[in-house]
Amino acid sequence: MTISGWILLILSWGLIIALNVFCFVKVLAKKDDEREANASKLD
Amino acid sequence: MSAKRDTWGSRLAIIMAVAGSAIGLGNFLRFPAKAAANGGGAFMIPYFVSFLLLGLPLMWIEWTLGRYGGGFEHGTAPGIFHSLLQKNRFVKYFGVIGIFGPLVIFIYYTYIESWTLAYSFFAVMGKYAALTDQPAMQSFLRGFQGLESNAFFNGLGWAYFFFVVTFGLNIFVIYYGIRGGIERLCKVALPLLFLCACLLVFRVFTLEPPTSIHPDRTILNGLGFMWNPDFAALKSAKVWLEAAGQIFFTLSVGIGVILTYASYLSRTDDVVLSGLTASSTNELAEVVLGGSIIIPAAFVFFGQSEMQAIARSGTFNLGFVTMPLVLNQLPWAGFFGFVWFLLLFLAGITSSVSLAQPTIAFLEDEFDISRGRAVRYCGIISFILCQPGIIWLGRGVVDELDFWGGTFFLVVFATIEVVLFVWVFGMEKAWDEIHHGADLTLPRFYKWIIKYITPLFLFFILGAWVWQEWIPIIFMKNVTPECRPYILATRIMLLLIFMVLAVLVKIAWKRRKSRGEALL
Repeated sequence: MTISGWILLILSWGLIIALNVFCFVKVLAKKDDEREANASKLD
Repeated sequence: MSAKRDTWGSRLAIIMAVAGSAIGLGNFLRFPAKAAANGGGAFMIPYFVSFLLLGLPLMWIEWTLGRYGGGFEHGTAPGIFHSLLQKNRFVKYFGVIGIFGPLVIFIYYTYIESWTLAYSFFAVMGKYAALTDQPAMQSFLRGFQGLESNAFFNGLGWAYFFFVVTFGLNIFVIYYGIRGGIERLCKVALPLLFLCACLLVFRVFTLEPPTSIHPDRTILNGLGFMWNPDFAALKSAKVWLEAAGQIFFTLSVGIGVILTYASYLSRTDDVVLSGLTASSTNELAEVVLGGSIIIPAAFVFFGQSEMQAIARSGTFNLGFVTMPLVLNQLPWAGFFGFVWFLLLFLAGITSSVSLAQPTIAFLEDEFDISRGRAVRYCGIISFILCQPGIIWLGRGVVDELDFWGGTFFLVVFATIEVVLFVWVFGMEKAWDEIHHGADLTLPRFYKWIIKYITPLFLFFILGAWVWQEWIPIIFMKNVTPECRPYILATRIMLLLIFMVLAVLVKIAWKRRKSRGEALL
């Protein structure tokens, strides 16, 4: 494995894992009861 | 509309369902082979560019279109397109592709999915445990597929049995609907899929060189084969096209499935963050896990000299020939073989149930028939349509179905969606619609990307593929004379399916008109 191979692997994995963690943290931070409350407000 | 439409039980449920739909066999078989054969680590540059400029915009467009159409109680493209452009009588017919594509993919994908179930059974039973070389394993696969009679199989019996079981499982899940069937399946299958993948990655990363004759066959060199960049490959248009194609297929965009899934959202549900989460989960499965199993493992056992040929040997060969051979040489071969094929089966079933859903939703929404009846009709018809692919696999029927349903119409449909949403519906309205209820605001430059870059990218892909690959396929230049009648018959079957769906759309709208319903 060359250094450039390592760099591309770490960058790719890092970007994807960071994006996935960021998304799930934001998704789980908003509870489903908030979602339902928003929907009922609209109704 | 008489009955209330189904809904998702939670936000996480739809994210898992869309991710489950996107994570398929291609994540673990197609991606590593494409990356290794197209510049290694350098492939990731066009891959990420395509993800940002093509994959994510299309994902957001489909989520938004689906939610918008769901507001008018339409769960499939004909109704959704009609809701966008109510004055146009013809726009709904473009939407036929959004039912046709997933139905066609469903009728061959379930059969391929059934192979993974069969092989997981064979792994446990040790049916291929004694095989140690590629020709023997290929012969095993061909025997199973009914392409030859040999010492392992005599006829299609096993393949057909596992197909019926797989098909039945799909119908069983779909019968219980969005919340009771698909959502429940994905809640169990997706974590289990990630568990299987992590287990295999751990096993692959702890592999030792099999013999002292080849000390260079280490897992690090295997990862190097996958990741060491060949930057010269970036000058090739083919590599960019392959990367764009991979993004397209892996995210399940342009099929019509996401439209249907998102139509069960409520008007206030976010689509920006949910779409991004589903996409990034798919990328995690593909790049981090999918890229760490088959190619590095095969490198350790076959070495540098055989790897180029293996990487180019095709998806099925990698999954059903190379990987079982690698796993056969490990302790606990039966167990790891079972885990590998279970992983593929879970990836397959979470995708196949999503492929059947647009047809069911079309019958439910536009003809007001109950889910049970819709599943029965869809089940019987698609079971019959599956038969040519099973019986005439060796005549190229599955490849033909894959070209039209899983390649050609996919790109065409995505192009139609983008043009309709951005250019006909209008960019300002589209931007507002995307951000309605959003938990994340997209950077302003994405407005420009969605309006200009994504459609241009799609037209470029369409043009390049037509020029390079599609014309020889359409004119059957690479088809042997004995296979031509089968290919022609498949095309006639596809044309008939398309026409029947178009007529059904016409009837549905006529019925509504005669009942005096607003055609929304």
